Amino acid sequence: MSKIIKGPSTRELMAQMVQESEHLSINDRRDFLRKGVAAAAGMAATTIAGSSIASEVNKANLPPNEPAWGKQLGHGVVEHPYGSPSKFENHVVRRTVPWLTADSIASISMTPLQDLKGIITPNGLVFERYHGGVPQIPVEEHRLIIHGLVERPIIFTMEDLMRFPSVSEIKFIECPANGGMEWKGAQMEALQFTHGMLSCCEWTGVPLKVLLEEAGVKPEGKWILAEGADGSHMSRSIPIEKALEDTLVVYAQNGEMLRPEQGYPLRLLNPGWEGNTSIKWLRRLEVGDKPWYHREETSKYTDLMPDGRARKFTFVQETNSVITSPCPEKPMVKPGFVEIEGLAWSGRGKIKQVDISFDGGVTWVPAKLKGLVLDKALTRFSLVTKWDGQPWLLQSRSIDETGYVQPTLSQLRKVRGGNSIYHKNSIHTWKVAPTGEVTNVQIT
Amino acid sequence: MFKSLDNKLKKSLMALGLGAAIAASGLANAGQFNIGTTATPEEIAGWDIDIRPDGMGLPEGQGTVEAGEEQYEALCATCHGLFGEGEGRWPVLAGGQDTLTEERPTKTVGSYWPYASTLYDYIRRAMPFTAPRSLSDQQVYDITAYVLYLNEIVDEDFVLTKDNLATIEMPNQDNFFVDPRPDVKNTRCMKNCADPKKLQIAGTLRGITPVGHFVEGADAPAASHDAQMEQEHNKEKVRKASLKGEEVTSSNGGGASALSESATAGQSTYDGACKVCHGSGLTGSPKIGDIDAWAGRIKQGMPVLVEHAIKGFTGDTGVMPPKGGRVDLSDKQVEDAVAYMVESSR
Ligand code: HEC
Ligand code: HEC
Repeated sequence: MSKIIKGPSTRELMAQMVQESEHLSINDRRDFLRKGVAAAAGMAATTIAGSSIASEVNKANLPPNEPAWGKQLGHGVVEHPYGSPSKFENHVVRRTVPWLTADSIASISMTPLQDLKGIITPNGLVFERYHGGVPQIPVEEHRLIIHGLVERPIIFTMEDLMRFPSVSEIKFIECPANGGMEWKGAQMEALQFTHGMLSCCEWTGVPLKVLLEEAGVKPEGKWILAEGADGSHMSRSIPIEKALEDTLVVYAQNGEMLRPEQGYPLRLLNPGWEGNTSIKWLRRLEVGDKPWYHREETSKYTDLMPDGRARKFTFVQETNSVITSPCPEKPMVKPGFVEIEGLAWSGRGKIKQVDISFDGGVTWVPAKLKGLVLDKALTRFSLVTKWDGQPWLLQSRSIDETGYVQPTLSQLRKVRGGNSIYHKNSIHTWKVAPTGEVTNVQIT
Repeated sequence: MFKSLDNKLKKSLMALGLGAAIAASGLANAGQFNIGTTATPEEIAGWDIDIRPDGMGLPEGQGTVEAGEEQYEALCATCHGLFGEGEGRWPVLAGGQDTLTEERPTKTVGSYWPYASTLYDYIRRAMPFTAPRSLSDQQVYDITAYVLYLNEIVDEDFVLTKDNLATIEMPNQDNFFVDPRPDVKNTRCMKNCADPKKLQIAGTLRGITPVGHFVEGADAPAASHDAQMEQEHNKEKVRKASLKGEEVTSSNGGGASALSESATAGQSTYDGACKVCHGSGLTGSPKIGDIDAWAGRIKQGMPVLVEHAIKGFTGDTGVMPPKGGRVDLSDKQVEDAVAYMVESSR
């Protein structure tokens, strides 16, 4: 660590800054109430659940004793024809912030990024976003129609679609509102809620290009309307350039058919673009010469600027990154060696570099990219260092292969103000306290 | 061994002419795979519901503000408010003019939407929320006219038609522009990138994040809508009991196993057809788990409740539509759903 923050002066400054920041969160009264309680009790206000699990350890199962499971048999094959995670992992689930939406049917849930390893999101943990709930569609009754400015309008069964030569690609999918609650200030006390509208899977299906060629797009065909079969009949206009470049029509994720939550039996996947364009339960693709300007590309998914005008067709998810360990849910356990880990991604291609700052962006050091570094996929980064109980203001900053550097919050706000809801990809800060507690703060 | 198998496979493919077919398959020709059936005009017409700003896709017909008022009040106002002001957290449909540069802008059909066609399209494809695709084209014309009227875009005697919809000028239509990103330019600075003395640190708003899964004893919101409801239900139970001087240990989630067979069967019907109102107390419906709201009703006995649920019922608090608006449900399904609601609300 001493390599990173040089000299006691910076260190002292950091400690002072972190201490002072305690008094800066004056935007909420409850914060003060809590602090009052904590101070009265003379201890940290929060106990991390993880440590209580540790206190329940049964010594009889520890060396030198033979543990209980070594003295009996477990269940046999096909006890669980479709297996599920260990019951000891039942805290690894999607969660939502109920007050965000009027009900759970047109709503969103978040992926527990804090518990995930590698870059693949298990199917049951991929974040959910519905506008009319999850339809249960019998695979043999699902149809995809391609029509409009085409030579031959076609109706496909799922069996038809699965006869095409398939491709499998690892791509992230992110809601453009990921982090959108934090434009005006830090609001969420957990990684799952600041960044969890984000997942990454291996998707299998047919390039949309192949299907369009099957139908024969007329020269005037410039836009495609994609529409879902669920009760919201969600619809988005996609420019033909994207459709011919890398859009997929997918029926499988991570080796199995799509989950109902992810569009079973068929969805669109626009790699690197805002998740909303990747229409689920895909039933119709209409080729036209102009965009449709439907609700999801006018009322929603347009970005309001400070001058009252709004950006439209803001498709790309620009480079973003976040440290996933430590994070509020996974605080620092003890002084000593620690691997700082996180995820970086870009809708414009591959991640080239991620840097980490321990002092709120004053000094930066390069992190290492580990495992697969793929186009428009989550990319894991890591930095092994030492923590001896000093406070940190931890940040990560990603750079993608176009050379675009993840911006600071001040840079974004200066151009976009605080009301644009979508596409907040600014550098994120975790405050690490000497107790190991990690909290979400904003630095300007 | 595998190699020879491989070769054999290749040979037999060649014999079938498949190798050549694959090799020759350039992507230029339409219909190269010959997969799928040609869609008939009728098949397409049933699903081709989209409308464009230039009016493309609009069906024959017309509608009036006057006819729209009555239907809006019956079908939409429970959520969106009589004047489009939005009940609770349901979307606001009208008002908000000149707020787009304010600290808290109100984006509505009138203040924000660039095209009237979007309104017709959206109502036709997705509203009313609980019964999408249930309106006739005629109804959509009427209600669209009325929502435009609520936004002071048309007069009360306006007649909306297939031909004039595309000519309606929306107040905010010129204020959208194409994405100019990348719009900010950060650089890869490594040292002395900011003055540490000038950094401002602001903490998180406390008490509004569901943190119960990692902060012990946190008085925080739950992490799902259902859990939140259960949380409220349990709190209510404890409060009631303590008023009576009883002691109750709040049972966390223990309720589910105590459900009868009928109630268990009814849960999925409830989730799909009843929860949208009874989950939140929308439109004056008794909220599931709200002991007070249900006590009097439960006294009527199951047969009465089931009849009211099947045939519909107008009481003191609102209108319960027959089968919750889902006439496709069997009587048995509704009965089971009632059992589920009743057993979850005692
Ligand atoms: C049960 C509550 C409910 C009822 C009844 C209802 N809606 Fe909605 N409405 C919603 C919800 C929820 C949304 C947002 C859905 C989403 O975000 O996907 C919505 C969205 C809308 C929007 C888009 C608002 C925006 O700013 O983007 C319009 C317009 C609309 N409804 C019109 C209607 C009309 C017209 C009716 C009656 C025919 C109606 N609604 C009935 C719940 C309701
Ligand atoms: C559009 C909203 C809505 C939906 C959907 C809905 N209800 Fe209701 N329900 C109501 C309202 C409002 C009342 C209260 C009527 C009153 O007492 O004024 C009610 C009352 C009831 C009652 C109590 C009747 C009584 O005699 O007090 C039952 C039972 C009931 N609903 C069952 C159901 C079932 C089962 C479903 C799903 C199949 C369902 N509801 C769907 C709005 C709804």
